[in-house]
Formats: sequence, C-alpha cells, structure tokens
Amino acid sequence: MELNIQSLSKTYPNGVKALDNVSLRIPRGMYGLLGPNGAGKSTLMRTLATLQEPDSGTASLGDIDVLKQKEEVRRRLGYLPQDFGVYPRISAQDMLDHIALLKGVVNRKERKELVEAMLRRCNLYDDRKKSLASYSGGMRQRFGIAQALLSSPELLIVDEPTAGLDPGERNRFYNLLSEIGEQVIVILSTHIVEDVMDLCTNMAIIHQGKVLFQGKPETAIAELKGRVWQRSIEKAELPAFEQSHKIISNRLVGGRPFLHVLSEAALNGGFSPSSPDLEDVFFTKIRGWN
Amino acid sequence: MLRHILAFEIRYWFRSWMLWIFLLIIGAMIFGAASTDNITLGDALSNTLRNSPYNIQNFYSFIGLFTMIMAAAFVNSAAARDFSFNTYQIIFSTPLRKSDFLLGRFFGATFVSMIPMLGVSIGMILAKYMPWVEPDRWGPVVWKAHLEGILVFAIPNAFIIAAVLFAVAVLARNEIVSFVASLIMLAGYIVSDILLQNVERQKLGAILDPFGIRTYAYVTRYWTVAEKNTVAAGYSGYLLWNRLLWVAVAIAIFAFAYYRFSFAERSKKVRAQKKEAAETRPMIVALPKVSFQSAPWAKYFASLRVHFLGVVKSTPFIVILFAALLNCIPGMAFNASEGYGNSSFPVTHWILQIIAGSLYMFLVAIITYYAGVLVWKDRDVRMDEITDSLPTPEWVSYASRLTALIGIILVIQLLVFASGVIVQASYGFHRFQFGLYVKELLIRDLSLFLMLAVLAFFIHVLSPNKYIGYFLYVVFLLANLFAWTPLNVASNLPKFANRPRIIYSDFYDDAPFRLAWSWFTVYWLLFCGLLYILTVLFWPRGKQSQWRERLGNARLRFSGVWPALAVVGFMAYAAVGAWAYYNTEVLNKVYGPKDALRIQADYEKAYKPLANQLMPRIRKVKYAIDIYPEQRNLVLQADATMENPYSKPLDEIHFTLNRLYDATIEIPGATLFKDDKRLYFQIYRFSPPLQPGEKRTAHITVKTHNRGFENEVSDMTVVQNGTFFNNSIGPLPGYSIQNELADPNDRKKYGLGEQALMPILERNCTEHCMENYIGGHMDWIDVETTISTSSDQIAVAPGSLVREWQDGGRRYFQYKLDHDSLGFYSFISARYEVAREDWNGIKLEVYYDRDHPWNVPRMMNSLKKSLDYFTKNFGPYYHKEARIIEFPRVASFAQAFPGTMPYSESIGFIANLNHPDDIDMVYYVVAHEMGHQWWAHQVIGADMQGATFLSETLAQYSALMVMEKEYGRDIMRKFLRYEMDRYLSSRGKERQKERPLITVEAQQGYVHYRKGSLALYYMKEMIGEEAVNRALRKLVQQYAYAQPPYPTSYALEDALRAETPPDLQYLLKDLFEDITIFSNRTLEATARKRADGKYDVSIDIEAHKFKADPKGNETEVPVNDWIDIGAFAKPEKDKKYGKTLYRERVHLTESKSTHTFTVDGLPDQAGVDPFALLIDRIPDDNTKKVTVSGATTTASR
Repeated sequence: MELNIQSLSKTYPNGVKALDNVSLRIPRGMYGLLGPNGAGKSTLMRTLATLQEPDSGTASLGDIDVLKQKEEVRRRLGYLPQDFGVYPRISAQDMLDHIALLKGVVNRKERKELVEAMLRRCNLYDDRKKSLASYSGGMRQRFGIAQALLSSPELLIVDEPTAGLDPGERNRFYNLLSEIGEQVIVILSTHIVEDVMDLCTNMAIIHQGKVLFQGKPETAIAELKGRVWQRSIEKAELPAFEQSHKIISNRLVGGRPFLHVLSEAALNGGFSPSSPDLEDVFFTKIRGWN
Repeated sequence: MLRHILAFEIRYWFRSWMLWIFLLIIGAMIFGAASTDNITLGDALSNTLRNSPYNIQNFYSFIGLFTMIMAAAFVNSAAARDFSFNTYQIIFSTPLRKSDFLLGRFFGATFVSMIPMLGVSIGMILAKYMPWVEPDRWGPVVWKAHLEGILVFAIPNAFIIAAVLFAVAVLARNEIVSFVASLIMLAGYIVSDILLQNVERQKLGAILDPFGIRTYAYVTRYWTVAEKNTVAAGYSGYLLWNRLLWVAVAIAIFAFAYYRFSFAERSKKVRAQKKEAAETRPMIVALPKVSFQSAPWAKYFASLRVHFLGVVKSTPFIVILFAALLNCIPGMAFNASEGYGNSSFPVTHWILQIIAGSLYMFLVAIITYYAGVLVWKDRDVRMDEITDSLPTPEWVSYASRLTALIGIILVIQLLVFASGVIVQASYGFHRFQFGLYVKELLIRDLSLFLMLAVLAFFIHVLSPNKYIGYFLYVVFLLANLFAWTPLNVASNLPKFANRPRIIYSDFYDDAPFRLAWSWFTVYWLLFCGLLYILTVLFWPRGKQSQWRERLGNARLRFSGVWPALAVVGFMAYAAVGAWAYYNTEVLNKVYGPKDALRIQADYEKAYKPLANQLMPRIRKVKYAIDIYPEQRNLVLQADATMENPYSKPLDEIHFTLNRLYDATIEIPGATLFKDDKRLYFQIYRFSPPLQPGEKRTAHITVKTHNRGFENEVSDMTVVQNGTFFNNSIGPLPGYSIQNELADPNDRKKYGLGEQALMPILERNCTEHCMENYIGGHMDWIDVETTISTSSDQIAVAPGSLVREWQDGGRRYFQYKLDHDSLGFYSFISARYEVAREDWNGIKLEVYYDRDHPWNVPRMMNSLKKSLDYFTKNFGPYYHKEARIIEFPRVASFAQAFPGTMPYSESIGFIANLNHPDDIDMVYYVVAHEMGHQWWAHQVIGADMQGATFLSETLAQYSALMVMEKEYGRDIMRKFLRYEMDRYLSSRGKERQKERPLITVEAQQGYVHYRKGSLALYYMKEMIGEEAVNRALRKLVQQYAYAQPPYPTSYALEDALRAETPPDLQYLLKDLFEDITIFSNRTLEATARKRADGKYDVSIDIEAHKFKADPKGNETEVPVNDWIDIGAFAKPEKDKKYGKTLYRERVHLTESKSTHTFTVDGLPDQAGVDPFALLIDRIPDDNTKKVTVSGATTTASR
C-alpha cells in the first residue's frame, strides 16, 4: 500500500495557489509534511481526506482513486484536522461511540470495548462522561486522535497535531502515534521541525504550494554537511550581514543575533562551522537555495 | 465618560449596515401597507385616510413587536459584546466607572433600537407621494401624529424592550438567552391578547400590555372615522398609566441588573480550570479487534438519536417550546370566544383550532431555526472535517437530521394532543375524538411541517451561509403566502405545500375535501421527495465552496439507486401534477382571486341597468328534489308559476344563475334571447308577451356538476351529511344585488362608482315600495316540495310534512307551506336526531347531530317562551310547526325561514352555558329567530333604507323581552353592555356612512342589531313595555302578509309615536332619526345616615349630549332630557350588581346638576343613568362609589 500523488494543483478563487503541481509518493510509516503556515499543507491533507477537490491531478491509495472513490477512502481513513470543535452537550464517550458506529462498528458490544480501550489509551477514561465542550485544549486534542484512530485506519492524516499542546502533552501524543507503528501510512503535517526529526522516516517540504524536497530527513541534512556556518553579531551589524551573506536563520541568543549562514566556501571572521540540522534544511529550502 | 461611551455606542451602530437594513425593512413594510391594499399590517386601512393620525399611531404602537427581535441584536451586543468577543478583560481592566459603562451602553442601545421604528414615519410620508396612490384617500401630513407616535410608543417601547433585554444579557452574558427573552416577551404579549377577548377584562389587558398596543386599541375602540382622521392620542388616561407602569417596571429591571453587574469575571471559569490538574499516566491498551460494516441504517438511527438529543437539550429549543406551550395550553384552557363572554364546550375541532392558532407559528419558527442549525451544525462547531471524512453516506447525514427535526415536531404534537385531552377531561367533557386528533395533528399538519422542513433544508444546503439561508427561507415563505394573490394565481399547483382548505364538521368529518386534499398532498410530497434527492446530491461535505466542485460531487453521488429514484419520482410527480391539472383546470375551473372580482364587476356593469325592469312575479313553486348525499349530487326540478300583476304586457324575464350548478329553464311561449355564460345571466323573451293577469309555469332543472376534484371545494351545500341550501341555489329572477362588489376599494379598482345601496327612505311610499327587501320578484308565495334523500337521512323543506315514504331504498318526504310566505326558504338533509314537543297544537322540533345534545332543551324552552310572548303581544303564528335545524359549520349563523330556523353547528349547539352568570346565547338567538317569524316573515319592509329596522331591530327587541322574562334585569344589563360595546366599536370601522336607525342600510348590522337593541330597550324603559307592544301589535295587524306596497321604517316610528306621551316625543328623533351620544358622569356621590336609619343621598352629575354626523363628527347639543338617577346597594357575594335602592326619572336641562334623595338601605353606588341605558362611551363613570359621611359612625356606636 502506497499513497501516490500526481501533479495535484489547486488555486483558490482569491488567486492563492495552494497546490502547485504537487507529486508525492508516500509509503507506509510516518511521513512528515513540513512547511510554513500557509504553505498548502492543509489543502493537501484535506484533499487526501476527501474533503476538497483539486483543480487537476490524481491521487491514489493502492488501487483506490482518492478523488473519485471517496467512500472507499473514508473507510480506510483516520483524520485529525488541524483545528476542530465538538458538538455541545455530548460526552466524549457518547461522541466516540457515535463516531465508531459511523465508521461502521455496528456491533454494540464490540463498539463498547473499542471505545473504552481507546479512551484508556488516550488517557481520557476518567473524563469520559464529561461534556466534550468542557475539555481543555490538550484533552480535546487527545479526543481528536482517539477518534482518528478508532477505525484502525490504513491511512492516518494528522494536521498540525501538536499546536497548542504543552511539551508533556506533545510527548504523550507522539507516543500514541508511534504505537501505530509502521503498518499504516501516517501523514503528519507540521511547521515544527523537531516533530519531523523525531518521528518521521520520510518527509517532504512544501512552500507556496510547491514541493521543495522529498526524501529522508538524514539525506536532506547530509546535503548541507559542511555548508552551514554560525556566529553571533551585534544588532547594528545585521543589515550589513544580510547584504553580504545567505542567512539561513537568525535568532537571539543572550540578546544578540545569532546567525546560521549558508556558504559553500569556508567563512572566517568570527564564523565557526555548524553541524546542520533539519531546521537549516527547512530554511534553506524555503529560501530557494540549494 | 458617559457621554463618550454613549456617543461611541451610537457611532458604532451608525456605521453598521444592520441598523440601516432594519430601518429599511420597517420603512418598506409600512410603505407597502400604506401605499397598496395588497399588503396589510394588522387591520386593513379601510375606511380612514391612509395617513390618518390613527393609522400612524397604530403602526407606531405595534411596530414595537416587530422591532423586538431587531432590538435584541443591538441591546445584546451592547451588553454582551465584550464577552462574546472576549474583550472584557481589556475593557474591564480600564479605570471605567460602572455607571458610565452601563448607562452609556444602555442609552446608546435604547436610542439605536428606536431608530428602525422611525421607518413608520418614513414609509408613511413617502407613500403619500407615490404615483399609484389615490389622492382622495390621503390627508395632509399630520406632524403631531408622528411626534406623538414617537413619544408615546417608539421611545417608551424601545426603552422597555432595551431594559429587559439589557438586564437579561448583562446577567446571563449569553447571546441566546436574550434572544429567547425577546421571544418570551412576544409570548407574553399574545397571552395578554387572550385576556382582551372579554369586554369585562379589556381594561386589565390595556394596562398589562407592555407595548401599549392593546392600550391604544382600547383607548381608540370607539373612535369614529372623523376622529381617526384628525385626532392623535397623546399621554392621557390609560395610555399614560400604561406607559408609566411599564417604564417604571423597565427601570426596576434595569436597576436590578445594574446592581448585580460586576466587572469581575465569573467564578465559573475558575472551576473549569481546576479539573485539568487531575491527570493519570497514559496506559498502553491493546485495541480489541472489531469488525466493520457499511450498515447505513444503523448509522442513520444512531445519527438521528444524536441530532434529536442535540436539539432537545439546547437552550433555545427549551425556551421556544416553553413559550409555545405557554401560549397554547392556556389558550386551550380559557377558550372564551363564543361571544357575549360565553365559552363553548371544548369540542375536539375547537381545541385543534386553538392549537393551530397558538402553537403553529412556534413550530414554524422551530423548523426555520433548527433546519439551519442542523445543516450548519458541524461547520458551526468546526467538527465538519471530522464528520465529513467518516464513511457515512450523505443521505444518512440528511435523513437523520430531517427526521430528528420532524421527530421533535411530532413529540410536540403528541404533547399538545395529550394536553388537549387533559383540558377536555378537566372540563368534564368526555367526547375525545382521538381519530380526529390523529388525523389533524399527526397527518394533515405534520405532513405540512415535513414539507416546510424539506424546503428549509434544501435552501440551507444551497445557501453559502446560515444567515443567507434563513433570509432566503423566510423570504420564500412570505412570497409563497402573499405573492400569489397579486399575481392572480389561485391554483394549488404552483403554491408550495398548498392544499385545499378543509373545514371539519361533526356532520361529515372531512368527507367533501378528502379526495382533492389527498391528491394535492401526494403531489407536494412527491415534490418534496425530489427536493430530498437534490438535497442529498448537494449535501455539503468538506470544503467545496465553488459550484463547479459541488456539481462535480453531485455527479459523483448520482449513482446507485439515485438515478432510478429520481426518474421514478419525477415521473410520478409529473403524472400526479398532470392529473391534478386535468381535474382542477379541465374538468373544473380555477378562478384567480381577481377573476372572481372582475366577473362581479362586469356583471354589475352589464346588468345593473336592467335591475328596475318590470318582471313577472313568482306566485307558486312546486319542487321535486333528489339529494344523493354519498355522491354529493343533487337534482332539483321546480315548476314555478309566474304572473303578470301589472297593467301592461311584459316582454322579458331575466335570471341570474348560480355558477356552481347547471340549470335549464323552459318557459312556455318564451325563448332564450341572451345566454351570458361568463356572467351567468339569461334573458328570456315572451312571445306572445305575458298579458296582464296571465300566468305561466316555468320548468326549471338544477343539477350539481361534480366532476373529478377541484382546486378548492367550491360547493359546500351538498355534502355527505348536512346538506343545506336555500332557494338561491336555482336561477333567481332578475338582477341580484348580492352579486355586486361591496368593498369600496375593489369597486374603485374595477371602475365602479360608490355602490348604490338601498333606495332613499320615503314617506307615503307606493311606487318605490313594490318590492320587499328580500327581493327576487316575489311577494308571498306558495311552496310545495317532494324531497328524497338516502334512507338514513331526514330531509326537511318548508311547511308541514304531508307524507313520508320509502321507495327504492330512498326516503321521500312531501312538505307544503301552511301559509303563503316570503320567497326565502331552505332545504336540508342529514342524519338527525329529532326532539319533538307540542305547544298549543304547534309542533316544536329540533333536528340535531347525535353528538350535540347539550343545548337542545334550552332551544325548546326558548321556542315555547317566544311563542308565548309573541302570540300574546304581537299576533298569531301562522305555521303549524317551528323547527330548529342544525347545519354544518361551513357557515356560522342562524337564519329564519318560514317556520324553520337553520342554526349552525358552530354557534349555540356547542356553547357551554353552565355558568349561571353567562348570557344564554342559545336562548337569545332562538328567540331572535322566532322574532323574525313576525318581523320579516309577516311584516316585511320595502326594499328601502330602514327596512331592517322593521325586521332585525324588532327581532332583537323581541328576543330581549323573552330573555328578560326568563333571566331578569341583571342579565339584560350585561347583555346591553355588550351591545353598546359592539355598536360603539363597529361604528369606527364603518366604511361609508353611519345611518340612524330609521334609514339603516341592510348591511349595517351594528346599527340594526346593536344600536337597535339599545334604542328599543330604552324606548321600552321610557314608555313602558305595554305601550311598545301595543304599537307593534298595530303594525302586525296592519301589515302582516300584506301585499305591496310594503311598509317602510316610518310605519314603526309612527306606531311608536302614537304611544309616546308628549313630553317624551323627543326620544323618537334622538333614538331613531339621529345619531345621539351621551357623555354622562357622576362627579360626587355622598350619603348621610339619618336618625330613622335611612340615608340622604346627594349626587353631583354632569350630562352632555352630542349629535354625530355620518362620519362621526360630533356636535354638542343642549341637554333637555328625562334621564334616570338612582342608587344601588352593595352587591351580594358572587353577584355583579347590587339591589336597586332608588330609581327616579328627572328632567335635566343643565349639563351640571345636583340631586338629593332618600334611600332605605346603605347605598354603595349612585349616579346618573345608573343602568347605562343611554349610548355613552364611558358607561362606568355613570355611577360613583357613595361616600357615606360622619353620621354613620355615630349610628354604629
């Protein structure tokens, strides 16, 4: 089973090109979709989750045409949208039970066991009778992953799952994801580089609707080996450096700008070599350098 | 700071489009209502100037109701904006004073809420200058009325509404709650409406109306046209008190909210956060193995449950339901509406009518609101991405929501079903018609709600957002209600969810309507089925916002069973539509609302000129009638003998035909000269001409033409059980004035002048008095009938039953009139129970439906007492029988035909008269109809103004006398009080000219009945019952069954004049020839106890007398009248009136006077005209509570 995306394009009525000839091959295992906000990640994910139509292109899951055989896709799909709400006046347990039924678990006893196990797994068991609307952000997110996992999906799409979670919640969430193992296709979209680094065996970088890179994170990092340099400078010097160097990133360390710079040639004058990480890859890619 | 916040609030709204849209809506509504008759708001603007001060203020009074929902938006935002936008933390942490904040926001919101109401003035003023308005119906702009409208209604109402909603919003900090509060206020208003139905409770209703709408109606209830055109009500009387009361209530509510308001956050949030701390470590749990199935039905039922509970548990639903039941159940419980403050038995169809009237607008609101909520539910809470990607077919998503909504309606229907039964049981009424409940609530009405819901879902599914969806749906419903009449469309085929109207009757259930209703129901259900399929195809799923994408998806979904379903559904729909078209438009004919008016207008234009042509007179008619109730068929054959009574030969006879029936007329020696098939008029020419004194007998056949089914059931006279028709079913000789357009506006529209009413009254009239006002070119005629019907029914025709037999499984009856009578008689056939008694050889019979036995004994009693009184005081009764015959509730009147009085099922037969203080409506109506056996059926007036003074007024007087004998004077006071109220309030609605009694027009019921009662009762009080009856007896002796010329109203006035002493002669002019109104009141009433235990009473009274012109302009005239003064004791417990201690007639010549007299007992009330017998707009101040002074205390020691 493999998810094969061919030349997907999508332009919104306001002229924004959300997908620009995107082609990806996504094998089983965790697949990271990295991109800044507004890169087109969510459009791609929603398209794969049968919720949106592309203007052109194809997508297939094994033999299934994702764009036409929506019902077939939905039966195999677990989807956690980036941002979602819940019905008012309904408890987590009732809602999960309902979703399990809608996913096709008709047998009442099986459903009950499934929901109960899922509640325990997502650590919501104690709060299962509480109204969903009263859940905190973290609990709600766990509910989200619970519903996505309910059907033992073959294709699991999670869109920015850790936004708004504290580090503890985030860890627990990744534990849940990793348990699914390498048996299914998991697409994780995020703008947080460490998420991909920590979890994904394959990844793609998307920016302005275009795929800038696809492959293994290590490959990408290897490409930058020996080309990244770092130093800290005075604030006033920044414009000059921006003129003269390809600045990958610039963050404040101890109140002073700390630069990562891309350079094929060795730099001196305060620069020291830096071992590249995925973040460097990300910024390099989206700045269009190679 | 306060000023700043106020200004900010006002500027905030002035920049928002919402305020101006609301102003536009109100302005457009008023503009529409003022400038055309196609739009009405409240009452039609019929008889006053369209921009009269009365209309302006009336619009201002009730526009408050419309603006309430609008105000909710402003007020709610002003009060709760910071909470819904989460800016409260910013705002409330500023150094802002609570008073500045709250008052600024509140007054800002009040001011802004008032702005849309100004649309009344804008719409009114603009409408005047539109090219299509008729200038003669518009007066100058009366700025004072606009100003008073704003001061008395717009500002206080905005203040009251804003205060309540503001308080709710501030305290609840929740948007929905204040929306709901406005709904509750609306419900409260409607409840106060029920209170007002009873005259004695009107004042309470006037005080309690928070918007002052009823108060205004109460204050202006007796206004004449002239007053409505010129006077603007300011702050005075009840209006002042009402406004003060409610402004005070509003201030109190606001003060409470002010006191409770705090900038601090609520403690609720803190509680919510605490829970987060509890956290256990995640468990690695193996998921059990489960099986997956597509199982759409299981998914459907599960979703149905979730959506059903989702709605049922939501606050707005609970509140709307509560408001709906609050409106409906008390309505059922206090169904006081039978007239004269009486109530009817809680029969099932009546309960159902109350449910429809009081509940259904809420159900439509629930459907409107929740269809939107359910369609947008997932997207509103942003759960759509989860649910849309679940493997659920679209039809499951839709069907579960649709049935959840319908299920909710079903539950409410079951709830009111149960409530209805409980209400019936609580009245000790045990005829529960469960079948009827089920049919009406769960089939007829629920199917309509289903259609409305399907449409609402369809519109929301196509709509780009929820609010546009609501807007489109409401616009569609309004257009469907109001657009068809101006478009002249009557057919149910294009009108969404329209089906033929059903009038239930205990006689026939719904039998005459069933076929047409069922076909149209199938037609619309099939249409909704197609809408359902379309809705499924376009059911929103995912983020498709573009039509191209949605069409693509719809194409993808249009597979499996859908194409087959759509094709079959469409073919069935088209076939049923074609069948309905064939039946309604080909076999039958549908007349558009304007077609019927045009035919009437053309009829008048074409044939009115022939109205005065001399025509043979009908002398005798012999009928052979066969009624086939099961088929709703009728064959009527008549041999009508006509004679030329004039001195010259006659060339022609004209007939006006009834368009519901096929008629053929054969007249020996006459040929059909003109046959107008569109206007249903025929002219026959005699050749040779009909010579003076010559008689000929025409043979007339009339048949029903029931073919297929109609768009609306047009012929309600021949039905499965309860057939009731009169002689107008057949061709009527000559031009028929009843066919003329009566509405002055319609007449103008169709190019007709003012309707020529009855001819001007003449004294010593011969030439113009040759026709009586029943007309029809007949005088006193002989009628003989053979009538047949089904074997289980009884058929009744005029006169005595001569013979009855069975033949061929049918029942035959032969009747013959005992005495030649007016050409105005009826035929009836139904399954009857018959109550029979004998009164001095006259057969008394009441024919009634098996299920309505309650008031039959009262009817019998009234028949007997009427015969007692009338034969003793007026003259002999010429028929050998007096019958009351119940007929179905297709009409609600009682009518007197010779010896026979048909009486509608809906009045009297189901009246509940078990309260001793109630007016015995049944007894009264029967006595009135019996009165007609003398007044109309013996003495009939010429076709001339004042004719009904001779018949209706005298029948009314006759009934009053019979009632007074049976029930005593106190009940008469109550009855006359109602008569006075109805007279005074009806004259303000007069569209033409109010006439005095002597020249009353035939359709001025408020004059000949209501004022007639008051005038003749007063006459009787003044000259005595004996004197009045002597005059009437003379009238009977002179005119009973007299040949033309017929008497005029002068005959009655002259007879009464002859019995009136010289000092009271002025009464005849005041009561009969003029419109006379009094304004009498007592300023001061004191009493002093004397040593002998008696009381010296002294009263200061004021009396004013006015004469009104036909438009109601009044001129004061000097008082020179004999008027009663008197005193009453305190009423005993449970009694309305106290014992009369003193009554004396005094001659008043001054407007103010003081009178003293002595009474035996302790006086409670004393004053002028204490029985309120004179027409007076405020009868309550005629007497005053007596202040008993000092001496009492000494005496009591």
